[in-house]
Amino acid sequence: MRRQPACDEPCRIRDESLADADRPLAPRSRNIGTGRTLREPRLPGTLSLKRLRHLAASPDFRAGFVEMLPACIGLIPFGLVCGVGAQAAGADALAAFGLSTIIFSGAAQILALQLYAAGAPLAIVVLTCFVLGLRLLMYSAAMAPYLAPLSPRWQRGLAFVLTDQAFAAAIRRFNATHDPREGARYFAGCGAALWITWQSTNLAGYFAGNLIPVSWSLDFAVPLCFIALVAPLLRNVPNVTAALVAGVAVLAFGGLPMRLNLIVAGVLGIVAGTLAELAQERWKAR
Amino acid sequence: MEGALKLWAIIVLVGALNYASRLSFIAIFSRRSIPPLLARALRFVPAAMLTALIVPMVVMPSGAIEPMSPRVVAALVASAVAFRTRSTLATLAAGMLALWIVQAIGR
Repeated sequence: MRRQPACDEPCRIRDESLADADRPLAPRSRNIGTGRTLREPRLPGTLSLKRLRHLAASPDFRAGFVEMLPACIGLIPFGLVCGVGAQAAGADALAAFGLSTIIFSGAAQILALQLYAAGAPLAIVVLTCFVLGLRLLMYSAAMAPYLAPLSPRWQRGLAFVLTDQAFAAAIRRFNATHDPREGARYFAGCGAALWITWQSTNLAGYFAGNLIPVSWSLDFAVPLCFIALVAPLLRNVPNVTAALVAGVAVLAFGGLPMRLNLIVAGVLGIVAGTLAELAQERWKAR
Repeated sequence: MEGALKLWAIIVLVGALNYASRLSFIAIFSRRSIPPLLARALRFVPAAMLTALIVPMVVMPSGAIEPMSPRVVAALVASAVAFRTRSTLATLAAGMLALWIVQAIGR
């Protein structure tokens, strides 16, 4: 058993909201060890049906599940479009199910299917999806201090359902509670709701997506879901710079083959945002 | 590599990299802190990468750039709603409604 140094108040770092991920990450929170060891939280280390049932019956799990439902409703059209996309790209049913269960990220699934349909080489597809997935690295770093007192099994399980929506909701709960177990159960509830919604809508889109009239323009739900994630971030100069540079670059480099414009625009945007923030700090320091 | 095999290779590799990213600081590098410059840069991944995905879907749905289309108008409406409400559901409802209304007017 690994013991993590932690503070007396388990995992409560500071009463601040991480809800938007739009804030400096907290390397500080990683080395809060004061030599005292935290008692191992008694979260079940192994998975069994009984324990899963016990987890599903806990109020925290249910709260996470229920509070994730509005976001889940919003994901229904996105999931349907992903299913339709898999079908249109010529994937068989098993591959479509593999896309939604193994990748479990709408943005990555859509991008992978677009690139696959465009005939991009495997390396380009994987690399572009990796850059898109870098935001998961950020979520992981922000979530790590809260999950540090949990057993490795819980960490591995919760990491599997770490998505844009679950991250935002779970971080809020972890900040509002002193008990990492409560936050973990809530997180698991969010993850379960998202997982069930995602798999069922993907399958429905794959098998029945053709029944949706084209005139509904349901595919537009995909950029709308991304807009819901991005627009709230545009409250500071560096993020606006990153978005502007990426948006202009993706059109300017539209002529590149294999949709390489996406990765070029993404990297340019990230660099521009970072430089803008550094410049802003230097300006303020004067 | 073509066809089903390539698609499965994509699924497995992208899935594995995604999971590794999710697990990274939670379990793999749990004893390490994230390098400050990396932390800084990572914060701009959503704004940059998601915008790079959004813009072509909105501005050139059929391959050619259309600067003023119902989609552009609807995306602007949705952005305003998302900025104010931070709600996926409200953004989706506003964006789809705006698209349908502008399409109906244009017809």
